[in-house]
Amino acid sequence: MADHKKEVVLLNGYPVELMRGGQGRPLLYLHSAAGEMTWMPFHDLLAAGHDVIAAAHPGFSNSEGLDRIDHMEDLVIHYLDLLDHLGVGQVDVVGLSLGGWLAAELASRNRERVRRLVLVDAAGLYLPGFDQFEFFQDPISNPGFPAEMRRRCFHDPNSEIARSFIPDQIPMDQILMALRARQATARVAWNPYFYNPKLKTRLYRVKAPTLILWGESDGLLPPDFARAYQALIPGSELKMLEKCGHMPPIERPEEFAKAVGEFLDRN
Amino acid sequence: MRIFQFHLMSWPFLPAAYDGPAWVWCPNELYDPKEGHKLYQEYLSQLEAAEDLGFDGVCVNEHHQNAYGNMPSPNLMAAVLARTTKRIKIAVIGNALPMYNPPVRIAEEYAMIDVMSGGRLIAGLVVGGGPEYFSYGINPTQARERFHEAHDLILQAWTQPGPTSFQGKYTQLRYMNIWPRPLQQPHPPVWIPGAGSLETIDWVAKMRYAYMGIPYFHIDVFRKTMDLFRQACQKYGYEASPEQMGFPLGIYVSDSDEQARREFEPHLWYFVRKLMKGLSLNPPGYTSPQSMMRMFLALNQFLPHVSTWEEVLAGRYMVVGSPETVLESVSDAIEKTMCGNMLFGFQIGSLPTALGSRSMELFARHVMPELRRRFGDRLSARTQGPALQGVR
Repeated sequence: MADHKKEVVLLNGYPVELMRGGQGRPLLYLHSAAGEMTWMPFHDLLAAGHDVIAAAHPGFSNSEGLDRIDHMEDLVIHYLDLLDHLGVGQVDVVGLSLGGWLAAELASRNRERVRRLVLVDAAGLYLPGFDQFEFFQDPISNPGFPAEMRRRCFHDPNSEIARSFIPDQIPMDQILMALRARQATARVAWNPYFYNPKLKTRLYRVKAPTLILWGESDGLLPPDFARAYQALIPGSELKMLEKCGHMPPIERPEEFAKAVGEFLDRN
Repeated sequence: MRIFQFHLMSWPFLPAAYDGPAWVWCPNELYDPKEGHKLYQEYLSQLEAAEDLGFDGVCVNEHHQNAYGNMPSPNLMAAVLARTTKRIKIAVIGNALPMYNPPVRIAEEYAMIDVMSGGRLIAGLVVGGGPEYFSYGINPTQARERFHEAHDLILQAWTQPGPTSFQGKYTQLRYMNIWPRPLQQPHPPVWIPGAGSLETIDWVAKMRYAYMGIPYFHIDVFRKTMDLFRQACQKYGYEASPEQMGFPLGIYVSDSDEQARREFEPHLWYFVRKLMKGLSLNPPGYTSPQSMMRMFLALNQFLPHVSTWEEVLAGRYMVVGSPETVLESVSDAIEKTMCGNMLFGFQIGSLPTALGSRSMELFARHVMPELRRRFGDRLSARTQGPALQGVR
């Protein structure tokens, strides 16, 4: 395991929970709606060659300040403030799902700040005619919801990692954090549902070399979304991961980290 | 004590084979407009009958895109009743404030109903149910903030000479100047329904509005909620007036206990197992994560989690029986809660309207007079504070 530390920094008067580990160029990891804030194997693999910075977005885990967030734009400002606070200038940005959407917004607005960009099974776009799954259900009113989420998020929903990442019953001591994550996600993704109508008209501005990395079995945001991103971001590359669902860092940490590392470290 | 008839206007014709939710995703091909036309006539007639039967008022409410209650616009119902009734109060337990922007529309329509009815409106201001946030696309994490801002706007529109301006986070209006203004001054009485959250109880007590419980919980949950409300009023330096508290209760009266059960039970289970399915949908941030955890833990005292007839009666989730049984059960429920507004729902689930109307008549003839004798004086209105001056 690479050395990493967990800390809470005060930003604009609010606590922000932060994990940081590894050495090399700074890499900002933007987490998904699941709020993955324990140091996992994929963090470790990325930290082998990079200074990995992974913060909890406002309202997730032990980060506060959700009352200042009404739109994705507010999250962009929040992360620019955080980078300033940490003294990080140009940065590689890797974002998963909700975090991928945030990464795309960040790179299209502040294009000098992002050195290289990796969008992983990213939300943020709307595809006409595609009926997206209702993420904001709860296991009380729909007991089959966790199993359905597992099927959509993992290539192998019966694997140990899938079952522990999306359990049928959330352990009592994790319910509060799960409710917080759901609330913080809804703050920016309730309506329009996981997208920003303006984003597609701004992606042409992305200057950073971009990798679009996607699980080919993604049942939440299928590969059509990857191709839409590729068409909208000039010069972007697309790489599909086999036998992988919506959560590549969780389901295929080695393949994920290898693809990200090769792209970021390319001359 | 004031006695109201509460109507949900439920859809009684969901097929036996349908076992999906009655909310948000219930296919609207199951709604038959021709049957709907007949139902509206019958349901409105039941509300109008309340005047002749000696009730003090009627309640209509608001739900969207569901089979549970077919009144997406309670104001339309209130407008009809403003013309077809002459005496009774018209309580609109609706107008989900966050759903409407600019909310000045609510201030306008309520003023219209108040003026048309000659000052008989009771103005409900509500947050809206969880499913409504799915159906209307409003961000549930902003529900409370939007509610309070819209409340401030509506009160300003009613009470400050216009034109005025309003600058909020969600609504900005340079010119607010409603025509007509409400007839009741300074404004119609305000009722706020609540599911027991401490924040709402405290706010209603502070504003000296009236607090309505949400139906279908165990009587002990109500008792606790109403005690909390009385304590909150004391904290603000006054005793709660009975007319500041409302208790909605489903009821069915027939000739004997056995007959009442035989006639009513299938329709009760239709209501519980079909129409309430999906009602407890909890969108994210609709209440704080802490409150949501408390609500999950209280769910076993909520009617959809009750499975036997005996539990329904013992918990006073609903009151069913002969006039004598109903009188004693309702008296017991009133003793426990001491609310000055009793809101009785007679037309529940798939109950044929003829039976619902008969139950209401039996109640009016054999139960209501004795209830008034028992509780009329103890639960009479005490005028309290500016907000209650509108109560007549």
